[in-house]
Amino acid sequence: MTSKQSAKRFLAVYFVIFFGAIFLRVDYFPLSWVPMYGYHVTGPDVTVAIGNKDERERGFAAQRANGQRLYVSADDLGVPNANFRRLYHQRAFNNGPPQDDRERAALMSFNRWWYETLVGPDPRLDRRYADQLLVSVNKTFGYGKADPRRIVRLEASLDFASFEHADVAVGNLSRPRIQRRTAIITEQGSFLRKGDVTTPMPRRSERGAVE
Amino acid sequence: MNSPATKRRSLVDWFFFDWHEAGALGAVRFYFGLGLAVYLYYQFDQNLKIDAFGPHFHFTRPIWYFSLLGIDTNIPWISYLVMILLIAACLFFALGKWTKPAIIAIILGIFYMKGVRDSFSGDVHHREIPIFALLVLFFFSKCDRMFGIDARKKNLAPIEPWESSWPLRAMQVYIAMFYFWALMAKLRLSGFDWFTGGGRIQEVLISRAVRDGFTPTGEVVNLSLGWDLAQVPGLVWFFGALVFAFELFFPLILLVRDWRLKLIALLGATCFHLANYFLMNVQFFLYPFVFVTFFNMNVFHDWLMGKLRLRKAGRAAAT
Repeated sequence: MTSKQSAKRFLAVYFVIFFGAIFLRVDYFPLSWVPMYGYHVTGPDVTVAIGNKDERERGFAAQRANGQRLYVSADDLGVPNANFRRLYHQRAFNNGPPQDDRERAALMSFNRWWYETLVGPDPRLDRRYADQLLVSVNKTFGYGKADPRRIVRLEASLDFASFEHADVAVGNLSRPRIQRRTAIITEQGSFLRKGDVTTPMPRRSERGAVE
Repeated sequence: MNSPATKRRSLVDWFFFDWHEAGALGAVRFYFGLGLAVYLYYQFDQNLKIDAFGPHFHFTRPIWYFSLLGIDTNIPWISYLVMILLIAACLFFALGKWTKPAIIAIILGIFYMKGVRDSFSGDVHHREIPIFALLVLFFFSKCDRMFGIDARKKNLAPIEPWESSWPLRAMQVYIAMFYFWALMAKLRLSGFDWFTGGGRIQEVLISRAVRDGFTPTGEVVNLSLGWDLAQVPGLVWFFGALVFAFELFFPLILLVRDWRLKLIALLGATCFHLANYFLMNVQFFLYPFVFVTFFNMNVFHDWLMGKLRLRKAGRAAAT
């Protein structure tokens, strides 16, 4: 900038772009409206995944098309541990990344219009995160659709703790309801087993407080 | 008598052009560049925690620009190479050697490393967003004209104070408003529910504390401090109120000239980031290095060099 005038013009453009993104709720790097941890829905309880490092290090229980059983770990896939935790805890259970949950939440009409026109439908309406995981695993291993070695089933098991809101409100975390859940991902679709009951993985429901 | 237009112009001049010394921009670039090397290493070292010649993971959800470019697979050794280039570019930037090309290299490196890190599982993090915005300002400023190898070798003419001032002030506006927008985002998305009772903070404390499970004795494996705090909702609410006040009022720092007051405010912000890290493992803990943009770092540098020279002279006298 060779003059104060040109510096002012530059600053005007700079702030229109970076702060304009805030008005329009753009959250695509390098622009952001800084939502980070801003999305919060108070539910009847707080449900969280209780990790198990040993199970996670062992990886997904898997089955090949030829019937062979194996485990698929972070090392097998070449995925850093922090990312593998998200795959195991969240994507396998068909929970998307936080930005998908908050992107269309509480949008004003103009922003909803441009999102739906330029970006597409609300990602919460058709969640296929678990299915994408199976596709990624097979593509990583280089298995085609007719390969007998291809993975046809992935399973991730986790304990989930549900804390009653009344308990959380008084800081009592000593009596959560613990439930074992297993995500079952197959070529025919993904399923969720809770106790003895297996149901198709919800594709449209709101996500819980699973981080 | 000044017309309203002149008054407006004067206010802008006062706010952007009349705040820093000529040498401040170059000195800020130096310290910012050194901090940036460390910051970016910690942001992206995750990409290096896999076998360099191991499997090529097919990303589950490539970041938007990877999708556009057709990058859907991670080739691990590239991250090792890019990390070396990225850190080297940060050091060149800090030292004022090929400064502008170094900024472009840093930006490209950030795009690549962030793309890889965030495409494995699709979680797009926000930790590089302010860095990008600040690098854009460095790029369009005369940050290479002072306090660097090229400036010394080419004997470049010094810049005017206003040329040093506006980029630094713009950086400060961006940094200060980043907190304010974060508060607005909470209110736009969740309203005061975010703060009610333990609110969102308590929920994150619980979920983060248990994500690596419990020990055989029933203790959480990690973040036990966060777990303990989650059981004191009154204190969580108090911290939530502090966050509200901090994010609402932080932009007032833009009107403060006294470096001591600024230092106090920025130490408060540093505590906020460190607490987020120790309680919830939020990886913004090295972010406070950007606060060097709030100071006349040339004054600090002269003070530091003076101290070092004195110490050296003292040692020489003793021997």
